[in-house]
Amino acid sequence: MSTKEEKERVELLQGTLDLLILRTLVLGPAHGHAIAKAIEFRSNEVLQVEQGSLYPALHRLIKRGWISVEEGTSENNRRAKFYRLTLKGRKQLAAETIKWEKFSGAIARILWPTEEPE
Amino acid sequence: MKRHAKRLLNDLDQEIREHIELATQENIERGMTAEQARYAALRKFGNVTRVKEDAREVWTKVWLEQLGQDIRFGLRQLRKSPSFTAIAILTLALGVGANAAIFSLVNTVLLQHLPVRVSNRLVVIWISNLKNGWSRIGPAGQDYLDWKDQAQCFEDLFLFEHGTGTVTGGGEPEQVAGLRVTTNFAEFFGVRPLLGRYFRLDETSARHNLVVLSYAYWQRRYASSPAVLGQSMTLNGEVYTIIGVLPSDLATVFPVDVVVPFDNDWLKRADSDLGVFGRLRANVTLQQASSEMSVLMGRIAQQRPDRKDYGSVLVPLESARVEYIRPALLLLLVAVGCLLLIACANVGNLLVSRAVGRQREIAARIALGAGLGRLTRQFLIESTLLALAGGASGLLLALWTTYVLARFIPTRIPVPNAADYVSLPSIHISAPVLVFILLISLLTGLLFGLLPVFQTLRFDVNEVLKEAGRGSSSGPRGNRTRATLVIVESALAVVLVIGAGLMVQSFSRLLQSNPGFNSNHLLTLRIKLANDAKDSPYKEPRRQAAAFQRFLTAVQAVAGVQSAAFTEIVPLSQDDMDMAQFVIQEEPPAPRSQHLASDFRDVTPDFFHTMEIPLLHGRVFTEHDNLDSPRVVLIDETFAQRFFHDQNPLGKHVQISDSTRPPREIVGIVGAVLDTGLDQRPRPTIYLPSLQSPDQTMSLVVRTALPPSSILPAIKNAIWSVDRDQPIFNVRPMDEIISSITSAQRVAFLTLDVFAFLALALAAVGIYGVTSYAVGQRIHEIGVRMALGAQRSDILRLVIFQGMKLVSVGVVIGLLASLLLTHLMTGLLFGVSATDPLTFAAVAFLLVWVALVACHIPARRALRVDPMVILRYE
Repeated sequence: MSTKEEKERVELLQGTLDLLILRTLVLGPAHGHAIAKAIEFRSNEVLQVEQGSLYPALHRLIKRGWISVEEGTSENNRRAKFYRLTLKGRKQLAAETIKWEKFSGAIARILWPTEEPE
Repeated sequence: MKRHAKRLLNDLDQEIREHIELATQENIERGMTAEQARYAALRKFGNVTRVKEDAREVWTKVWLEQLGQDIRFGLRQLRKSPSFTAIAILTLALGVGANAAIFSLVNTVLLQHLPVRVSNRLVVIWISNLKNGWSRIGPAGQDYLDWKDQAQCFEDLFLFEHGTGTVTGGGEPEQVAGLRVTTNFAEFFGVRPLLGRYFRLDETSARHNLVVLSYAYWQRRYASSPAVLGQSMTLNGEVYTIIGVLPSDLATVFPVDVVVPFDNDWLKRADSDLGVFGRLRANVTLQQASSEMSVLMGRIAQQRPDRKDYGSVLVPLESARVEYIRPALLLLLVAVGCLLLIACANVGNLLVSRAVGRQREIAARIALGAGLGRLTRQFLIESTLLALAGGASGLLLALWTTYVLARFIPTRIPVPNAADYVSLPSIHISAPVLVFILLISLLTGLLFGLLPVFQTLRFDVNEVLKEAGRGSSSGPRGNRTRATLVIVESALAVVLVIGAGLMVQSFSRLLQSNPGFNSNHLLTLRIKLANDAKDSPYKEPRRQAAAFQRFLTAVQAVAGVQSAAFTEIVPLSQDDMDMAQFVIQEEPPAPRSQHLASDFRDVTPDFFHTMEIPLLHGRVFTEHDNLDSPRVVLIDETFAQRFFHDQNPLGKHVQISDSTRPPREIVGIVGAVLDTGLDQRPRPTIYLPSLQSPDQTMSLVVRTALPPSSILPAIKNAIWSVDRDQPIFNVRPMDEIISSITSAQRVAFLTLDVFAFLALALAAVGIYGVTSYAVGQRIHEIGVRMALGAQRSDILRLVIFQGMKLVSVGVVIGLLASLLLTHLMTGLLFGVSATDPLTFAAVAFLLVWVALVACHIPARRALRVDPMVILRYE
C-alpha cells in the first residue's frame, strides 16, 4: 500500500516538471536555458527548478515523442538545440492539464473543506 | 541505444556549457563579478555529472546495463583465480549433484501420483485379526459384497485378485501374471483402454471369457499388433476373447500380463487374500472412513461368525505403495541436505577468505563512492555464477548418479506385512528435477554469497586503507565467520558419519543374521498345475501329489543338483502367507476368544535336508507319510516354545482350522526359520507333508553344487521332460530374494556411506583451509615467537590447538544433533540402537583424527618459517 503511494508521489513530481515544460513550449520552440528561465519567471520565481534536472526531463519527453528537437541559433548567435512541442505533446498537455486541475481541485477541497468550489 | 539518442547525449555537454554561459552572462548583467556570476550559475544548475547520468538513464535500462557489467566483472574475477573457481565449482557440483539425484528418486517414488483418477482418494482395505497376530490380510469376496452394500464412506469399491495363469497354444507354455477384477474397473480408475474396450458392468452376471492384455504383454506376445482385438487365446485351458489393451502407465499400479473379470459365482467362492480398493467420498477423511469400517466390521461379525475378532485397516493407496522405502528415502534426503550445507559452508569459507584478501580493493571502491547495494549485488552475482556453474556440473553428476542408483533401487518392493509387492516406476531426471537443481543452485549461491557480504562490508574503510603496508588482516569478524563455518561443518559431518556408521553396522548384521537355513547355492522356482482346465490331468488331489513327485524325481536326477524339495512357500520370498488357527488336542480347549494361530506350510520330505534346517527332536517326513498313513506334522522350535513351554510336544496332536479335520500327530521339531524378513522374528510354524495335503502351486527349492543359474536350463528341461506343457515361473536364486527384501536398507547403506565419505572429505578440506589461512595470518607472530625462543612443539600446539578448539565444539554439537536425528533411522536399523554409544564414540574419534591431520599439515608449514626472514621483512 505504502509503496504504491510513494510511487504515485514520485510520478507526480516528475510529471509536474514535464507538464511545465510542455506548457512553456506551447508559446513556441525554445532552448534549455530559455525554458528554465520561462518557468521561473512565469511562476513568479516560486518554482525554483534545479536547472540541470531540466535536461533529463527534456530527454524523457523526446523519448515519449511529446517534443522534438531541432538545431537553431541562440540569442548570442550560437548554434543551440531548440525543443518544439509535437502534436502528440499537445494532446498530452491537454490531458495532463485536465488531470492537474482535477488533482489540485481535490487537494483544495480537502485543505479548505468549508469553502464552496466556484 | 538509438542513434539520435546517442547524438543527443553527445551534444549534451555542449548544451550544458552553453546553458551555464548564458546564465553567467545574465548574472553579470545583474551586476555580479565574473567569478560570482559563474559560481551562481553553476550552483543553480546543480551537479553536471548527475544530470548527464540521469539523461543517459532515460535512454538505457540502467539496471540491466549494470547487471551486465557485474556479470562480466564477476566472470573476470573467477577466471583470475582458476584454482579457487575450480574447487568451489567442484564442491558445489558434489552437493547439488547428490541432492538432485536423491530428489529425482524422491520425486519419482514419493511425489508422483498414480496414473488414475483421484488417486489421492483411493485407499487399500485389509482386514486384520490382532488376536491371531494378523495385521493385514486380504479380505474375502463376501467382505467386499458386505462393504459395498453397507459402507457409506466410499463412492465405490473395487475388488481384485492377483493370480497366475497358463497360456498354451503357440510356442512354449507360459505362466502369466493375471489379475481378476470386478467389472467396474474402468469406471473406478477412470482409465481408457489403449485399444478396444474394458469389461461392461453387466459382464459379471455369468462367466464371460473375456481378457484385456497389458501393454507390455501385448508388445511382447503380439508385437503390438492392433489386429489382436477379437482374437482368442488359451488361458488355463479355456478359450478367452481379447477385447482390449491397457495403457502402458497402468503397469505401475498393476504389473500384470492379463486382466479378466470376476463373475458373481467366483466372487462368492473367493474366500481370502483378495485385494480391495475403495474410493473415498470427496469430503470423507481417512479417520472417518476407518471408524465407520470398524463399526461395520463389528456388525458383520454378528451376521458372520467367521469374522469375529476381525477389524479393518485402511491405508491410502499411494502411501501403502511406498511404505517400505519411504523411511530410507527420507533419511537420504536429510543426509544429502547435510552434505549440501557442508558444501555451502566450504564454498562460503573460500569466499570469505577471498573477500578478506580483496578487502583493500573493496575499501577503495567504497571510498570512491560505490554503494553498499551495488557491492552486495556484485558479491551475490559472483556467488550465483559459481552456484550456477556448480549446478550445471551437478546436473552431469546427477545424471550419472541416477544411472547408478537405478541399478540399486529395486523395481519391485514389498508392502510391509501384506505378503505383497508393488512395482516402482523407473527413475530419471525430469523437468521438476531440473527446476529443483536450478532452485537449490540459486539458493546456495544466495546462502554462501551473503556470508562475505555480512562479513566484509562492515569493516572500517579508514582502518583498512591505513593498514596498507602489511597486507590486510581479516579482523575479528572474518575469523569469527570462518570459525562458525568450521564448527557447522564438523557438526554436520559428525551427523552424517554417525548415520552411515549405524547403517553399516545394521546392514552387516542384517546380512549376517541367520535365517535358519543355508541361503547359498539355492535356486527357487514356482510351478502351478493347470488343474483349472476342463481336461486337466491334475483334477484329483492324489494326482497332484504324484505329479509333483514326478517333477522332483526328474530334477533330483539332474547333474549338479545336490537335493531338491517342494514347499508351499519359500522362506523370505513374500510370495504368500498361510496362517491358520489350531487347537492342541491334549490341552483343555482355549476359550473362544483366545485362538491359537500359526503359520503352516506343506513341504516334501527332503525340504529340511535341502534347506539345511536342523532337526532338533523326533523325525522328519518320509515318502510313507501319505494319504494312506496316519496324519503327521512337524513343528518348529518357536512353536514348541510358545505353545508347549517345557512340555514335550512329540506325540501330541494338533487340529488345524476346525475340529472336522483329522488330528495330526507331532512327530518332530525343527529349527526356526525367518520367514517374513531378516529383520523379523521367527513365527510359530507347522509343517505338513505335502503328500497328505496336496496343493496346486508349489515352489521348488534346489540345492546346487554350482552357482544356481548355471544348471537352470537343465532343471527346466527335467520338468518339461515330465510335462511338456508345464509353465515354470518366479525363477529366483535365494540370493536374489534376500537382496530384494533388504533393498531399502541396501540403498540407504550404500548411498549414506558415499555421502558420509564426501562429508568427511569436505569437512577435512574446510578445516585445512581455515587452519592454513590462520597460519598465513599469524606467520609474522610465529616468526617473532620463534626468534624469542619458542620450541617447535609450542608452535605446533599453538596452531593445532586453534583449529581443534573449533572442531571439538563442532563434534559436540554434532553428537547432540545426532542423538535427535538418528531416531529418524530407527525403522531402518537392525540389531543396533539408534544411539549406539560405540558408534558415537568411534565417529567422534574419527572426526577428531581427521581434523588433526587437516590441522597438522599447515602447522608443519608454520614450523618451516625462518624467523630471520620474517624479522628482516619487518
